[in-house]
Amino acid sequence: MKTAIFRVSLLVLCVAAGGSLLAQEGHPLKGSWIGTWGPSKAHSSDIILTLNWDGKAITGVINPGTDNMEVKNASLNPEGWLVHIEADGKNAANGQAVHYVIDGKIDNLAFRNRTVTGTWKGGSESGAFKIQRQ
Amino acid sequence: MSIRSTRLALLLGGSLLAAAPTVIAHHAIAAKFDETKSVTLNGIVTDVDWKNPHVHILINVKTGNDVVNWAVELESPIALQQSGWASDAVQVGDTLTVQGISARNGSKQAWARSVVMTKTGRQILMVRNTMPPAPLQPRPAPKGADGKPRLGAAPGGVLGYWAYPSATVLKDKDSNVAMDASGLLKNVAEADKVAPMQPWALALYKERQRRFLQDDPTYLNCKPPGGPRQFQQPEGVQFVEDPVRQRIFLLLGGGNSNYRILWMDGRGHKGQVGGDDDNPLYYGRAVAQWEGDTLVVDTRGFNEDFWFTNGGLPHTEQLRLVERFTRSDFDTLRYEVTIEDPGAYTRNWSTGWTMRWVADQELPKHFCQDNRP
Repeated sequence: MKTAIFRVSLLVLCVAAGGSLLAQEGHPLKGSWIGTWGPSKAHSSDIILTLNWDGKAITGVINPGTDNMEVKNASLNPEGWLVHIEADGKNAANGQAVHYVIDGKIDNLAFRNRTVTGTWKGGSESGAFKIQRQ
Repeated sequence: MSIRSTRLALLLGGSLLAAAPTVIAHHAIAAKFDETKSVTLNGIVTDVDWKNPHVHILINVKTGNDVVNWAVELESPIALQQSGWASDAVQVGDTLTVQGISARNGSKQAWARSVVMTKTGRQILMVRNTMPPAPLQPRPAPKGADGKPRLGAAPGGVLGYWAYPSATVLKDKDSNVAMDASGLLKNVAEADKVAPMQPWALALYKERQRRFLQDDPTYLNCKPPGGPRQFQQPEGVQFVEDPVRQRIFLLLGGGNSNYRILWMDGRGHKGQVGGDDDNPLYYGRAVAQWEGDTLVVDTRGFNEDFWFTNGGLPHTEQLRLVERFTRSDFDTLRYEVTIEDPGAYTRNWSTGWTMRWVADQELPKHFCQDNRP
C-alpha cells in the first residue's frame, strides 16, 4: 500500500512536470510539427511541418515525402509570437496551382509541445489551422 | 516507506500541482519564492527531508485555531554540511522560528533566510559561503614537465578545484545591467542591454525573465549546465589532465555531475561549421591548444536542449565558444569567453571572470534530482 502511494505520488510529479520534460530551447519555430488543417473539423487533413532557422530565415517543408510544399516567406513576429507561412501547392482534386497562406500564433511558448493555432487560406478555401511541436 | 515520508511526498506533490502548469521542480530561488513576500513562522518540526537538491523541514504552525503544515526549504545538503551542519541538527518535535520569503503561488512553502531554535535562541542551518583566504603573497602558477601551467592539481598530488566565480551571470563585458546572482534582471525593460540579441532571442529572453526563470532545464530536468554557466555553478569545476592521451577532463561539481573532454591532440571539428553535426551535444565538442600560458578552447556542436547561461539567454546550434583559461597565479584562474552565435545574436560578444583555487579538496558531491523541489 505504501509503495503504491509512493508510486502514485511519483506519477503525479512526473505528469505535472511532463509539459516541459524535453524542452527545445532555441528558436521557437525550429523542429517538427504535426497537426490538422481543413475547411472544417469534419473535413480536416493531417499536416506535418518541418521548420528550421538558419539565423536569417525560417525555412522548411510542409508534408515532407508526400505532397511536398516548400515553405516560403515564413516569418515570426516576437511581438505576440505571430507566425506567417506561405507555400505553393496543387489542388488535389483538379491539379491547379494553389497559393497557401497560414497565419497563426504560438501558444505555450515555454514548452516543447508548444502549439501554433490560426487560419489558412488556399484558393477559394480557408479554415482553421493547428499544429503542435513534437 | 514511512507514513511521514509518504505525507512529505504528497505535500510536495500537492505543492507542485498547485503550481501547474508552470511546474517548479528544482529551481532558482526567485522562480518559486517572492522576494517581496516576507514571512515569519513559529512552529514544531514534523519532518526533516535531508536530500538533494534542497533540504526541506516541515513544521506545524498554529494560526488561530488551525494548525497548518508548512514546508520550509533550505540550501542543499552539501552547502549545509560544508557550513558544519548535519541532518540531525534539527529533530522532529523541535520548535523553530523561521524567517524567510513565501511561495509565489500562495502554497504553504517558504524559503528560509533564518532558522532559530526557539528554546536556545541559536541560529542554525545558516550557510557560510566564504571564499578561502588568499595568501599574502601570490604564489606562482604550477607548471608541468612541458613547461605549461597546470590547470588541475599541482605536481605532487595536491588536490583542489576551482570555485567562487567572481561573476555568476553572463552578460556582455560592456553591460552594466543589474541582475541578481541567478541572472534575474532587476528591470526586464533593460533586457536588450545584456547582450546583442536578435529580436526573437530578446523576446524569448524577456519571456523567461517574466516567468522568473522557472523553465530553466538545468533545474527543472537536470539538464547539463553546458556553456559558460558551468564555470558559474557554486559547486565548482576540476581539471584532470591526461597528457598521455592528450586530453583534459573537466569535471563539474554542479548540475548533474557530468564531465567534458578538451581534446589536445590536434584533432579538428568534424562535419560542417556547426561542429559535430550528427550529434549535437550539451557540452559541445571541444578542441584545445596552448597559446603561451593560456589554454584556448574552441567548442562547437551544441544542441538546443539547455540554457547556456544563468538567466536564460537563448542560443542555437550555431553556437561556438572560444574560451581562454589563464592561471595567473596559483590561486586564480582567469576565464574569458567569446560567444559566436549568428542564429541568436547580431554580433560576437565576450565576457570573463575569475575563479579561486579550493585547495586540498575534491569536488563536492552534489546531485541534481528530477522532480524534487
